[in-house]
Amino acid sequence: MKQIAIVPIVIFAKILTWIVKVTKRGSGTALPGLIVGRRAPWVLSYLLEQIPHIIVVTGTNGKTTTQTMLRSIIETDNQVVLTNATGANLSRGILSELLKRSNILGKISFKSALFEVEEGTLPRIVAQLKPEIIAVTNLYRDQLDAYGEIDITEKYIRTALEKAPQARIVLNQDDPRVSKLAQGLPNEVVYVSLPEELLTHFPYEGIQSKKTKPHKQSVKAKSIQIHEDLTSEFSVEGKVGDNPITIEDIRIASPGFFHVYNALVAITIASLIKIKPETIKAGLQNFEPAFGRGEVIMKKEGTKAVHYRLLLVKNPAGFNLNTQLIQAIPNLKILIAINDNTADGTDVSWLWDSKLEILNESSISSITCSGTRAKDMHLRLKYAFNILPEIHTDESLDWALQHTFETAKHGDTIFVLPTYTAMLEIRKLMGRQLEE
Amino acid sequence: MQYELAITHLYPENLNLYGDTGNLIALKRRCEWLDIGCSVKNLEIGDKANKDKTDIYFMGGGQDNDQLKVVEDFHDLKYKAIKEDTENGVVFLGVCGGYQLMGHSFIMGDGKSTRGLGIINIDTKAPGKEVKERCIGNLIGEINEQTYFEMSRMYDQDRDLPRTLVGFENHSGQTTLNDEQVKPLAQTLSGFGNTHNGKTEGARYKNVFGSYMHGSFLPKNPHMADYLIWLALIRKYNDRSIKLPSLDDSIEFEAHSYIVDNYAA
Repeated sequence: MKQIAIVPIVIFAKILTWIVKVTKRGSGTALPGLIVGRRAPWVLSYLLEQIPHIIVVTGTNGKTTTQTMLRSIIETDNQVVLTNATGANLSRGILSELLKRSNILGKISFKSALFEVEEGTLPRIVAQLKPEIIAVTNLYRDQLDAYGEIDITEKYIRTALEKAPQARIVLNQDDPRVSKLAQGLPNEVVYVSLPEELLTHFPYEGIQSKKTKPHKQSVKAKSIQIHEDLTSEFSVEGKVGDNPITIEDIRIASPGFFHVYNALVAITIASLIKIKPETIKAGLQNFEPAFGRGEVIMKKEGTKAVHYRLLLVKNPAGFNLNTQLIQAIPNLKILIAINDNTADGTDVSWLWDSKLEILNESSISSITCSGTRAKDMHLRLKYAFNILPEIHTDESLDWALQHTFETAKHGDTIFVLPTYTAMLEIRKLMGRQLEE
Repeated sequence: MQYELAITHLYPENLNLYGDTGNLIALKRRCEWLDIGCSVKNLEIGDKANKDKTDIYFMGGGQDNDQLKVVEDFHDLKYKAIKEDTENGVVFLGVCGGYQLMGHSFIMGDGKSTRGLGIINIDTKAPGKEVKERCIGNLIGEINEQTYFEMSRMYDQDRDLPRTLVGFENHSGQTTLNDEQVKPLAQTLSGFGNTHNGKTEGARYKNVFGSYMHGSFLPKNPHMADYLIWLALIRKYNDRSIKLPSLDDSIEFEAHSYIVDNYAA
């Protein structure tokens, strides 16, 4: 019966996606999944059941980058993998992707899928996903009004793990909230970690439980260097399954220690699915930053070219990490773009939890504030600076891009710190469309 | 004469959600700009409070577990001193969870009622069944007349102060004010405030203030920040003629009016 019922649903979804795109009302990553999910909830399991191997990445920060890194490794290994579109990590986004990738008979040919899944969504769909591997990157405070409380998010993920006894689990050992998630569960667990002296950079919460013996399986990063061009270099060693793993001098085009975590999770999952170390290394070398996560877009007019490096900020943790990353750069030019749409979090209180005071140490060349909450951002900076530099503020991102371009010199880099929808809007204004 | 104020931040380690530290940042910076000496002391769980040492108390909201821990500690180590201070006119500001905690009872996420700190006669209850969702969104209120009247006379020159307070609320608890001495801080113009039917926002008893506004509250409402500072000064120096110099608050009020202009229902 379902084999017949699925056909008009898939056709409907495909037409709807097409209409959404043609009328430029969006990228079509939400609506088909939203409608089908409500009217015919069985479709999600029906489509998922056809994919034998499913990997899930969750956590508050780093889902997209981890997914993109792992995808690059898997593709370097000449395998194809189905992924949900960047940031479309609610069940509607996953369902939309499945509907798009199936043929009109509702058949999906992919043998494996790699989904980033939003933390609150995971316990609701984990039974349908039946993932072989679940990775948790970290648990920072996310958009304040999405769930209210980080304790609840922690419970969501724990519940999801309890519902997935078949899954192998990859956890961030350094994040106290994450490292204890698998306590008492029968699952096989691999822990990833950074050298201890770097942990002060991260806003982890809670107290690490004292463990008496080392984990059976773990992957550690060492000799981490962040280069001037903001690429990161490091080596890893550890043990996954019964096999020791060592990879030297991995270079990734993503700036910051926090991206080393994402790479560690990607490396660990790749090892779990038996991809060779040299392929993993090459895959990470091939990786290009997921959009908005360190991606560079060039704006050109005549002979003048200015680089815009997009560093997504969606919570105090990300804001702090990205500010630390750029604060030592001489003649710093910053564009901060804060929107308050649903996907950004409608409460901008988190700007006050971000430690922007460290910018007092920076050599600032220019600061521009934009987005719907440009004025809130300007106000935050007024209270952060001991001596307030000149700040240009306008809600229009179009204006902000034009202004920063006009006041920059050829070859300059502008560091853009946008919230999620501001980032999408900036990319669109610069002629980059959403990924296919 | 050089004025000085002592601020006490209650339980910053446990009650630190929703950017409410912004209120401390605002008080510190504004004291600095107003040329008022300002020291901030943190009182955590296990620290004893002493009376007559503080001019302004601040308390934010936290997660359920943390709020429970705090109540017990408060009654053990702080109640007597802080209750005496607030009865004597010391300024106290609680925001959201902090506001609910100040009352006689408040509720946990699971709807259970718990004893509060008891420094203001309010109660917070779980919403009835007719209320489906949390009160979430931008909140705009009109400051009560008496408070606004005083506020508009605290500066050394005439200023055209907004009559509004703006912020962002996110709570399920419904707060009722229990006696005549406890007045609403504002009438709700947009959003909910104390209760789901959205009539009043926040509370004031003597110089104890509570509000549901995050955002953060004081940075976007500099007149309120200055008012707390002024109340603390006239009490400490026992001189009602003290006036505050007027700062350039154009950036503050631009952010303030942006909310009033764009988010009013």
